[in-house]
Amino acid sequence: MVQYRLPMLPHPDEIEWTAEVNGAEITLHIENNAILLDVLREQVGSLGTKRGCDMGTCGCCSVLIDGDPRLSCLTLATEADGASITTVEGLSDGHHLHPIQQTFTEFGGSQCGFCTPGFLVVISALLSENSSPSDEEIKSAIEGNLCRCTGFQQIVDSVRAASDILVSGARVEDSTSPKSDPHPGFGEEV
Amino acid sequence: MPPFKLHSPNSLEEAIEISREISESGLEFDWIAGGTDLIPNYKWHINVKSHVISLASVSELKELSTTHIGAMVRINELASDKHTHPVLAKAAESIASVMIRRSGTVGGNICLDTRCYWINQSESWRESIDWCHKCDCGTGADCRVIPNQNTLCVATYQADLAPVLMCLNSQIHIASPSGKRSMPISDFFKLDGMTRNVLKPGELITHITLPSDSKEWQGDYQKLRQRESWDFPEAGVAVLWKSNTEKEPIQLRVATTGLESIPMLHEDESKSAMENWEGDSSVDELAESIKKAVKPVKNTWFSPSYRRKMVKVLTKRACRGLLVS
Amino acid sequence: MVGYKQQPGKLPFSKPGSGGKNSFSKPIEENMIPSSQGGKLQQPWGSHRHDSLVSGQVIGKDTALVDGNWKVTGQAHYGDDVRIKGELIGRIVRSPHHYARVISIDCSRALKLPGVVAVATGVDAKNKFGVLPVTKDEHAMAVDKVRHAGDLVACVAAEDEATAREAERLIEVEYEILDSIHDMRDGLKDSVEPIHDRGKYHIGESNVQKRVFQEFGDVSGMLSSSVASYKEDWVFAGVNHAFTEPHAVVAHWDPTGRLTLYTPQQVPHYVHRALADVLEIPMHQINVHRTFVGGGFGGKSDPFPHEMCAAILARKSGRPVRITFDREEVYWVNRGRHPSRIEMNLHADGEGRICGIETDALIDGGAFASFGHVTTYYNGVLHTAPYEIGSFHYTGARVWTNKPASGAMRGHGAVNSRCAVEVGLDHLAEQLSVDPISLRLANLLPPHSSTITGFRVTSIGMRECLERVRQESGWTKKFRKLPLGKGIGVGCGFFISGSGLPIHWDPNKFPHATVHLKIDMDGGVTVHTGAAEIGQGSDTVVAQSVAEVLGLPLDMIRIKSRESDTSPVDLGSYSSRVTFMNANAAISAAMDIRNNLIDATAEITNSNKQGLIVGDRRIFQKSDPSVGVSYLEALHKAQEDRGALISSGAYRTPPMGKTHKGAAAGLAPAYSFSAYAAEVTVDVETGQINVEKVWAAHDCGKALNPLAVKGQIIGSCHMGMGQVLSEEMRYSRNGSLLNPDLLDYKIPSVHEMPEVTPIIVESNDPEGPFGAKEAGEGPLLPILPAVCNAVYDAIGVRPSELPLTPEKVFNLIEKRCKSEGILEPLHLSPPSLNYSDLQTTLENRASEHSSRDYSRRLDEERSEYYNGALFGLDPSIPPDQTDPSWAVRVTPDPSYLDDPRLAGSAWKHTERRKRGEVE
Repeated sequence: MVQYRLPMLPHPDEIEWTAEVNGAEITLHIENNAILLDVLREQVGSLGTKRGCDMGTCGCCSVLIDGDPRLSCLTLATEADGASITTVEGLSDGHHLHPIQQTFTEFGGSQCGFCTPGFLVVISALLSENSSPSDEEIKSAIEGNLCRCTGFQQIVDSVRAASDILVSGARVEDSTSPKSDPHPGFGEEV
Repeated sequence: MPPFKLHSPNSLEEAIEISREISESGLEFDWIAGGTDLIPNYKWHINVKSHVISLASVSELKELSTTHIGAMVRINELASDKHTHPVLAKAAESIASVMIRRSGTVGGNICLDTRCYWINQSESWRESIDWCHKCDCGTGADCRVIPNQNTLCVATYQADLAPVLMCLNSQIHIASPSGKRSMPISDFFKLDGMTRNVLKPGELITHITLPSDSKEWQGDYQKLRQRESWDFPEAGVAVLWKSNTEKEPIQLRVATTGLESIPMLHEDESKSAMENWEGDSSVDELAESIKKAVKPVKNTWFSPSYRRKMVKVLTKRACRGLLVS
Repeated sequence: MVGYKQQPGKLPFSKPGSGGKNSFSKPIEENMIPSSQGGKLQQPWGSHRHDSLVSGQVIGKDTALVDGNWKVTGQAHYGDDVRIKGELIGRIVRSPHHYARVISIDCSRALKLPGVVAVATGVDAKNKFGVLPVTKDEHAMAVDKVRHAGDLVACVAAEDEATAREAERLIEVEYEILDSIHDMRDGLKDSVEPIHDRGKYHIGESNVQKRVFQEFGDVSGMLSSSVASYKEDWVFAGVNHAFTEPHAVVAHWDPTGRLTLYTPQQVPHYVHRALADVLEIPMHQINVHRTFVGGGFGGKSDPFPHEMCAAILARKSGRPVRITFDREEVYWVNRGRHPSRIEMNLHADGEGRICGIETDALIDGGAFASFGHVTTYYNGVLHTAPYEIGSFHYTGARVWTNKPASGAMRGHGAVNSRCAVEVGLDHLAEQLSVDPISLRLANLLPPHSSTITGFRVTSIGMRECLERVRQESGWTKKFRKLPLGKGIGVGCGFFISGSGLPIHWDPNKFPHATVHLKIDMDGGVTVHTGAAEIGQGSDTVVAQSVAEVLGLPLDMIRIKSRESDTSPVDLGSYSSRVTFMNANAAISAAMDIRNNLIDATAEITNSNKQGLIVGDRRIFQKSDPSVGVSYLEALHKAQEDRGALISSGAYRTPPMGKTHKGAAAGLAPAYSFSAYAAEVTVDVETGQINVEKVWAAHDCGKALNPLAVKGQIIGSCHMGMGQVLSEEMRYSRNGSLLNPDLLDYKIPSVHEMPEVTPIIVESNDPEGPFGAKEAGEGPLLPILPAVCNAVYDAIGVRPSELPLTPEKVFNLIEKRCKSEGILEPLHLSPPSLNYSDLQTTLENRASEHSSRDYSRRLDEERSEYYNGALFGLDPSIPPDQTDPSWAVRVTPDPSYLDDPRLAGSAWKHTERRKRGEVE
């Protein structure tokens, strides 16, 4: 068979690229036509940003660009040059999880977890815009994300629960706080 | 992603200058707006060019008002802007998924590449069917939908904004190194799945203008698809009309998308319906005539015969507002 | 004893390293303690052998997955997230042809490309492998032939992805194209060049990979007693698991020459075995490291050729190699649900008994065997329950075609034929003018019975599932009473909870599952298990079981389930076996430690160990809780002479089942049951179906983690809805897969998802861990027929082809309009129902059976119950031993071949080795 396939090489010229990723200023040399997802995964090291379909359907690669949820697999890295990018790794405040991270585990929003980063990023943007979204608003916000495990219902439950936390102003406990004491006393503390 | 050189101009002038330079050096290029159509195609090596000019930073193209829609206005912005014509907003809101709408642009949606089961596949997939003549030029491949020929491409135009913009009689504005031009949007689309529209190499859409009376037009956009998210229209019907004080239609336009290689404004059918408007029965006749006027082929999710039958249903549903009086 | 009687609220003394929160032991939660132990937890299904181990910690409570925080912080590393310094990127060269002989492969141009480090082809790995030892028919890369478009031909490793992709293009392969087959019906015919050659075991010259013939019960009598019948030829499109994580693998040979393979696998142990075969090295030279798995659903349970490729490339290049799939490649590997043509015949007699089921299932295996041997059986035997039936006739065949291989997918082999059966029952009910739920309730097998094929059924919550669904959905007010376009339908399911036979060894020699525990001075419990956590929560359920038995909070348990070096051999996550088998093994390992701790406590407190119980981090006298010690005190005492406590627990299934050929297929230590009602709206003008609500009752024995059980039920609904409404692997007229991507492979979005009300029924299985059975696959089965039956209720048309796209529904509506002479679909009338006299008969029988079942489930001394008693046979003796017409047959009579059904015609061929005998 005759080979008609297009060449993959040579590598395109590199350009300097600067962005603030999860609060840290980063300067890299990237191929000038690089896709943001590739830069985030292969160069920045944000392996939490997932590649599911690479074609804009699954939403696993969602990140915030200047607060706006975007599909990083369909975004040229240059479009985010100079921008502030938030990936799933940037949602928590140290060991204090974002409420949606906490409720995703508590309410079953995450099963296999592969789509989870994309959902969390998109939902965090929804909640920062609207801390008590209706079910319809939640569904519209996540319609571009695909979950194969949960059937979405427990994801919606998780968003509602996170909204309750946000509205009440409570804060998620630091995950490094002491765990159970293997040597407890008897009865109730007095 | 195959290699290409990306240019990121900051103004329209600069963009046009770059395009001129590339053209003069005898090379080809693509404009990239939101990227939601072009990037998947490039990843699949569909019609890849050696240069790409990004319009993301060209602020002149981002203006949005009641009568002016910049080519780089994001679809989400158009859908949620309170000045957007309600039918246009409905069509915009129905496009793909919210994530695509955040990136996708009005200009990009209008210029959406035509789609077909035999094109929108990876390069190795197309190799396995001995290529497709739309995107694998030089292979001598035949069309897989209408076999034994490689002159006509019947890939389907599956964008949602065009039919509404056609019914609103909007004007499309084009710029290039050789100047500017504009035309009614219904004249913009042309011929077959490969040619798609009148844009010549180097030309780009700058904006759309809506006539000042567009607010007086009302109507509906109805769309057929498998799922409420992600899916391209398998058929889309926009019906818009202007009514008199008795709430009877005095002008009526119907346009369809997702059925052929270009969106179609059905002037004859609308005219004959208006000539002798009798409410219900006219709507039935109109719907039947639109169904007869479209010629879908078998290259999308639903079969052509089903899509044609649904065109009738969609047309009737889009006309519901005409019957509530 | 003096000195160990503690004052409430006072810590006895501090222990080094004990600083933590919850410094005081929680009082026993009486609501969590079974009534058999004096607690307040009601046990309507009787007591359980694990009752005395309940400490009230976690079992039965909504529990977040123990690995959840890794996932929500983006720190869970899946296949493509494993990065080893010095890695190369591997790419696979795939066949562009459906079927071809590889004449030559020229890698020279690729090897000259700067950055290319290694290439490999079929000659580098000639040994065959496959998931089932009886049907090994795969190679790492094509040896001689490629069998489907996308089949592997060669692979290449390079410094970066672009170079690897470029090199992939430079490998030149010369093919001789062979005639491919794509229609599964063609697979039944003789072929010039069968896709595989099985030597003397080859079935004629055909592409039949496996055929099954089974007859149980009074087959010859079924038609004479039948008063109502259902016959339908079903066509099911193939569907794919479509997990969000594409396959990815990293292979690394360490400096000592051992291979570590990082792979998102459901069944690491089979890859381990296959790698050893293909690489020709001993198993102990390989460490299979299961990464986080981004969804499996059966699609990551075969050993895969690309896993072999990575290992081969890494060996040749001396560098780690990572191969990640494009989404398209996921469809080339496939192993999704088989496209099937199923002829379903059901017969009911005048008393509303199901006197016969005749099923003929032709399933399209694609290019490789995969799990297909088992799938061929499952398409028949898994619908011989939950109903008591008068006869069962099954012919099944699996054929090779030039498509990506089908395999195991959630609800393995049971989904399609179950859909046909349940739709058939709806039709029978319609013909008999009875309510379909009443019909089902009057025909259920009782608890502790034997099915017609000899499966030992223990707990059954089927009746409760149906009753709950009928009540909560408002069934009686809705069924056949809703306006045109609105409908409600019911469907049931039955599924194995673990496979009775381990594939690779004699079940009586090695256990199915083994769990190791290690506890050192810190008090934390390290659990080693090979159960593959794939998102279903297996780590969590194992941790819960250990925590419960030891009376510890979950944060003190750490699960090590990743590596074959440290995990005991386990059969992995398939057949819905993990909770049943691994939790049982974990309980047994934890019981060992628990006994150590109780002994130590008895010694410290100088009390009788029979009086001691385990509570929250404390072991104390039941009669006087102030006499006792903390967990850490007991632990340290127990460690005094031996250091860290270690234990091992194992599970193996009891001997069961009949002895005919194929009797083991479908045998399980327990079975799950489910019943769903779905309410739909059908747009009669467009055929669009909107599933509005689903009431989903599932009998999982005991919900160890109700949150996860509900998640599985809802997730199953979503996946099943996909198959019934929109998902299909669609092939073109020339055999090309048209939709190998997530845009055109149409998984329902959040907008298509109905409101699901999960209803958990707990039938307390005697052998399940704390009573539990599976909840991962069974819940998928009922949604398909429930939706189909609801569509009938809405618009009076019976589907027989999935997916039920709007187009197909519209065509059915058009057909009905035409046959009734109605022009406008909106003028159609929905089906209606006037009960016949049989309705009362059924209701009475159901009520008698209900009390029969109630006493059987509680009675320890219950008698035998063999399928057939409903038809007047002695329940205590297997009917095939008393009634000659009930004889079991597993090969057809020659007369059958005069007019065989579609799949049955596979028996027209003679196996090559037997050809001499016949000719």
